[in-house]
Amino acid sequence: MGLKGYIARRIIYTLILIWAIITVNFLIFNALPGSPIEAYIASLKGSRPEAFRRLAEHFGLNKSLHEKYLITLKNLITFDFGYSDNFGAPIIDVITRERLPNTLILMGTAEVITILIGMLLGVIVAYKRGGVLDTTIVTGSLLTYSVPIFFIAWLLITFFCLYLHWLPTSFAYPVTWIRNPPSNIIEIISGRIYHLILPTITLVIFSVGGWILLTRACILETITEDYVITARAKGLKERTVLYKHVLKNASLPIITNVALAFAGMVGGATITETLFNYKGMGRLIYDAIFLTGGGSDIPLLEAIFYILALCVVVANFLADLIYGVIDPRIKYD
Amino acid sequence: MSTRKQKISFTIKRIKNFWNQYKKSKRGLLGLAIIIFYSIVGIFAPVIATYAPIEPRIPTSEYPGSPGVKIATRLCKPFWYKYLPWIKRGLTNITETFYFYGNIMFGSAIIHFIPENQHPEGGLDFDKAAEFPNYMASSYKVLKLIEIKATPPDGKQLFFNISEWQVRGARLVLPNELVLPANKLLQMCTNATMFKMTYTTGADLVENMKIVKDHKFTTAKSYNEWNWASSSAEFNVQYDNKHGFTTPGREESGCLNITFTGEDTTSEDATIMLWKEFYYPYYQPPTDIFIHTSIYKTGSSTITLQLTFIHETEEFTVKTVDIAEPNKYNHIIASEFTQNSTILDSIFSTPGNYKFVVKLKIPAGTNTTIYLDYVDCLLYGNIFGWLGTDNAKVYPSDIFSTLVYGTRVSLIVGLLTAVFSTFIGLFLGLVSGYVGGIVDEAIMRFTDLLLVLPTLPLMIVLTVSMRATSGYISMWNIIIIITLFGWMGFARSVRSMVLSLRERAFVEAAKAAGGGRLHIINKHILPNVFALVYITLAMSVPSAIVIEASLSWLGLGDPRLASWGKILYDFNNSGVVTTKGLLDYWFWVFPACLAIATLAAAFVLVGYSLDEILNPRLRERR
Repeated sequence: MGLKGYIARRIIYTLILIWAIITVNFLIFNALPGSPIEAYIASLKGSRPEAFRRLAEHFGLNKSLHEKYLITLKNLITFDFGYSDNFGAPIIDVITRERLPNTLILMGTAEVITILIGMLLGVIVAYKRGGVLDTTIVTGSLLTYSVPIFFIAWLLITFFCLYLHWLPTSFAYPVTWIRNPPSNIIEIISGRIYHLILPTITLVIFSVGGWILLTRACILETITEDYVITARAKGLKERTVLYKHVLKNASLPIITNVALAFAGMVGGATITETLFNYKGMGRLIYDAIFLTGGGSDIPLLEAIFYILALCVVVANFLADLIYGVIDPRIKYD
Repeated sequence: MSTRKQKISFTIKRIKNFWNQYKKSKRGLLGLAIIIFYSIVGIFAPVIATYAPIEPRIPTSEYPGSPGVKIATRLCKPFWYKYLPWIKRGLTNITETFYFYGNIMFGSAIIHFIPENQHPEGGLDFDKAAEFPNYMASSYKVLKLIEIKATPPDGKQLFFNISEWQVRGARLVLPNELVLPANKLLQMCTNATMFKMTYTTGADLVENMKIVKDHKFTTAKSYNEWNWASSSAEFNVQYDNKHGFTTPGREESGCLNITFTGEDTTSEDATIMLWKEFYYPYYQPPTDIFIHTSIYKTGSSTITLQLTFIHETEEFTVKTVDIAEPNKYNHIIASEFTQNSTILDSIFSTPGNYKFVVKLKIPAGTNTTIYLDYVDCLLYGNIFGWLGTDNAKVYPSDIFSTLVYGTRVSLIVGLLTAVFSTFIGLFLGLVSGYVGGIVDEAIMRFTDLLLVLPTLPLMIVLTVSMRATSGYISMWNIIIIITLFGWMGFARSVRSMVLSLRERAFVEAAKAAGGGRLHIINKHILPNVFALVYITLAMSVPSAIVIEASLSWLGLGDPRLASWGKILYDFNNSGVVTTKGLLDYWFWVFPACLAIATLAAAFVLVGYSLDEILNPRLRERR
């Protein structure tokens, strides 16, 4: 079996995974005893009969379990998540209109910076392993795992916003834009960046440690291989050894992680976005859980959760494809 | 028997060896020390923390008329703020600006003062101005007026004599009608005249004060605390050790005994004053007061009880109650004064000697015996405890106590989650690796599925749906949820280890010797996997601790438990965050954040050192 067969197998596997995710979704939201969706819909009955009728029909409230399963299957595959009364729009619009772009801007910036810094430091540290720099950076990276992200954010807010008054504490763009949105492209970009700085720094500090450790581990793995010793023994320049022999081979697991990280982007960062009141997907999760009138918008949560999982599955699929193309060791069987 | 002894001594030797190796790692020792420290704090929490972590209250046995008295007012600062030299204490001068508007209506002059921040640029018409009061409402309590000057729009400045103005209720400054009637002021100033008022106010850090030392009258000495004076000679006050207020299980029965024998002699209402003198050292009024009195009287006549503060010649009555029902203890309470209420403002204006007075008025021509017990007055300040208090409305918590008790939750959640998830991972990994085939395939696909799903959103969703079904979230729900998503990585590593182990020669040999599956797993595979188990145990605690804190921070924690996450949640929802909260109340959240970070880091350090010792590949590399 060649590459085509490998891809076909991966596609089938991915489809099965998507089915599994839909099923898990169904189990969590519909089939568990005291089903959250049904409880939510039932709670609307008295106060908002219009919304109740709409949702009851959409989710097949009084149908049997297997019928409900089929309805869920159809809804999720066609991205028909229903209408959110709390946000006054179809759920798919709530997600894609403003929240998703905002999140992609924030997470994209943060992710690119994190990965660049993380890989760079990882390579340096791996090359100078055992030294003071190595010990410090590795310990530091290990410690970032243990620092809650809101601690970092609060420290930054206290210093940069409240003490120095340099940066804004919240929102994705200046508040005045809501009334009169700017037309000047430079103004748009600078306004956005102004509001991006703090959340981005927070996210970078929080996740850069993982990348450093990953890169370091991958490089250490390859650096002790025989072919690297051979390359050195041949008298190749240290740079050539690093780029041609070490980095190339060490990059495989890193690529998977990059793909996964970009998939995870869609989910935003619930805590960071909530902290900075940045209206993205993560903040949407928070908003859906804590509606202003109390209670949670369960159908919206279901939709967000499904989209997040779907993105990760697709990203995994892409990573597998890249793997198949660039790693000659993968046997297509 | 001897083999067993040998075994034990061998184990001891191994542990010693391990410890000798572990000792060499400074990071490991630091981590271990931190964990031991937090464990001690957690175990001895009731000793270290002086108050209950949630809804602490002074128990009913202290003040029987109240279901429990708060320990402090909300949003107190830590007590050690009083040692910080840069915090302003004492008298300061403040200048505030108002705009004057006036008119003649039905022959009499009507004036209004508009605060600067509500006065629009370019002035406002008189109809609007009429909504404002006829006094200058100061933002702080006025101790002394220093200067009042007026600048009319045309620019000529006017200075007033301070005696032409008066301060009413500590915060209202208005012209003294006798010296400066409204129509005179109206002649002097045109509309939109700017008034600048400078006054002295006090800013201070006030500590809680308990006025009466022995408010239960437990010993005869307590009688000496009180002074008394009466309008007639028929009064007698003495200590009584029989008739105090008692509840079953409490033997103490001291009280004050007041007898009045005026049946035949008096023709006028008689009064008696009992007072306790105290020194109030602060320039700022207390944030709240709590007054409690238990009173018992004989005879059918109605007695009036008055609770009063006296400062020099001024008198402020807090509460007046008529006691009609005889032969029964009545509990009188005066409490919950809102901050900056006029009553607080006017009672405590300056440092000085004050009197807390219990005044009794007894109608003429009666004989009566009165017992007074549990007479106390608490003055609440604005500093309290090591880390201040939180924002709870009725019973604010001592943040330090919550922090100390929170150690338990974090340790329990972290450790239990680590143990459970490691166990699940170990079990599934072993089964998957050793049994193989379709079981392996099924377990690994399931693991993949869970690894693929976005963890934090999934945890949030699960917690919300658990909350939707059961009404609240308990600590166990959180443990289950974190465990559910904590085992996959470990199961994978165990599986791959088992896969390589089971092909090794010693396993083959054991098989050839007739060892069963369980025997081989137990004796040959498990011991080799166990190093990894220890490392994983240590390494999965931190993420559990951080996740628990994050969920609580989002409001998805157990609300009935004092945890570090709850401190963060309370702060986040207190409304002080968005303002300058973090600068003013950093002591509220940063200790909790630091505690989470250090405890989690300690486990990381321990795990890292274990990794160095137990992982042969790392050992070679060093």
